[in-house]
Amino acid sequence: MSAHFVLNGVRLEYRAGVPALDGIDLTVEAGQHVAVVGANGSGKSTLLKMLDGLVFPTDGTIEALGRQLTEDALEEPAFRREFRSQVGFVFQEADVQLFSNTAFDELAFGPLQLGLAEEEVRRRVSAVAEQLRIEKLLDRAPYTLSGGEKKRVAIASVLTMEPCVLLLDEPTNALDPRSQVWLLDVLAEWKRAGRTVVISTHDLSIAEESADRMVVLSEEHRIVADGSPDEVLAQRDLLLAVNLIHEHEHRHYGTVHDHPHAHGHTHAGD
Amino acid sequence: MIPALAHIGDPKPRRHARPRSFARKTADTIGHAVAEVFENEDLASSPGLMQRLDPRVKLVSIVLFVVTATLVRSLWVLLAIVAVTTALAAMSGVSPASFARKVWASAAFFGLLLSLPAATAWITPGHVLVPLGPLSITAEGLYVTARLTVRVAAAAGIGLLVIWTTRWTDLLKALTAMRMPDIVVATLAMTQQQIMSLLRTVENMHLARESRMLADVSARENRDWITDRIAFVARKSFKTADDIYDAMLSRGFTGAMPSLVRLRTAARDWVWLAASVVSCVALLGIDRLVAPR
Repeated sequence: MSAHFVLNGVRLEYRAGVPALDGIDLTVEAGQHVAVVGANGSGKSTLLKMLDGLVFPTDGTIEALGRQLTEDALEEPAFRREFRSQVGFVFQEADVQLFSNTAFDELAFGPLQLGLAEEEVRRRVSAVAEQLRIEKLLDRAPYTLSGGEKKRVAIASVLTMEPCVLLLDEPTNALDPRSQVWLLDVLAEWKRAGRTVVISTHDLSIAEESADRMVVLSEEHRIVADGSPDEVLAQRDLLLAVNLIHEHEHRHYGTVHDHPHAHGHTHAGD
Repeated sequence: MIPALAHIGDPKPRRHARPRSFARKTADTIGHAVAEVFENEDLASSPGLMQRLDPRVKLVSIVLFVVTATLVRSLWVLLAIVAVTTALAAMSGVSPASFARKVWASAAFFGLLLSLPAATAWITPGHVLVPLGPLSITAEGLYVTARLTVRVAAAAGIGLLVIWTTRWTDLLKALTAMRMPDIVVATLAMTQQQIMSLLRTVENMHLARESRMLADVSARENRDWITDRIAFVARKSFKTADDIYDAMLSRGFTGAMPSLVRLRTAARDWVWLAASVVSCVALLGIDRLVAPR
């Protein structure tokens, strides 16, 4: 198994002395499904942006696809083309990702930037639209779509680049339950296809269902746990400390009790 | 973003038991504006005479008719152009009454107000109809004002007809097909998306305030709040612009915006174009006969 990303001692400061990420050592192997979990403001989105070469560390190094990932490296057309075609990023807010005139143009944007022939662009758009069942949306302006439809188009706009690595920032945000189930199915399909996936989320149920590895960021922007979902979720005190679960009294089927509680998590059979 | 005057719907004044709050009124106005943009899209997607035409052909014909309206001298020929656009609106599923209201509102705002001084003897001497000293209204002046106002109505009618019967996405495709630089078209598309998104944000801010207001607030407090919110929206729009740029970079953006827009013309488009050219020539010919210099 080869590593897609290797981060060594990464620290990022947006303002001097205030870290957004601190002391991050992380290796993401090809084909892994990693869930980066943490409370709001812990640095999950920043970490994903860093993996996508959109922000760069103040200290430490990142290696991506076997090369140092720096601003200078991404200035080289050959590496930029390889990196952008191999690594796809689905933003938390679909609205920022949908900037084209129609959903069709949105799906065609990436392949056209790669300089692919028109026939190949149309083939990819058609195949991905069919796969995500958005054929009927292709002629519509993004602002006329619902939240779930926007998310589908945003994901499709990345898939048409046929990346081997997918980064998804809070993918279930603003999705209704049916769309969340659809997304889990899509993630499972990517796992079967051997794609590398890194998602950031504070929804432990999504992380548990979709990932085979869980990385926990603390509110101090450090990695405090890294293991299988079962291993991480068993560390109740740690999850309480990083503000991913909390204890409160509530009612299940007529019985009032208290126990650790993560939002977005259901207690079947409680 | 289609300007407010170009929206199809007319404001629907409702009676309220007591005056509504500033927040509620603003939120309602924004909600109405957003709804009207969607109504425009619905009308543009409906089956109608103008909706069936290729957007490029419509853009060419709009230029032809606006140039013709600019060259025409006769008030009656200008009125005929307004009548024809109203008939075309009716055949395209646009309510003639709503169309006329918008057209004449534009004409009153952009034509009448600007040309009103020309109706006075001070600027256009002639036969005095209403004696008011140097500001007396003259027959010649009134004709000049009427002609300018109707000219604006004719041009506005043609423009509105194209806007109302063409989907925004198709208009942008037409601009691309007509060699408008891709980056300009992409900027127009992004502007539309972001204005819609920011309108929703502003609407929700006003509703959130309304939901927590227990007492009436003064006009000064409203002004202070609005100033603060304008700053917030400005900051948010800057951040969104940064995020959009990141999203573009992430998908390999290098500065070029290639497009796959391919529009195809049908026989009816050529018929329409030919009819537009013939109509414009005929209107100019008639105009020169009835209003020689």
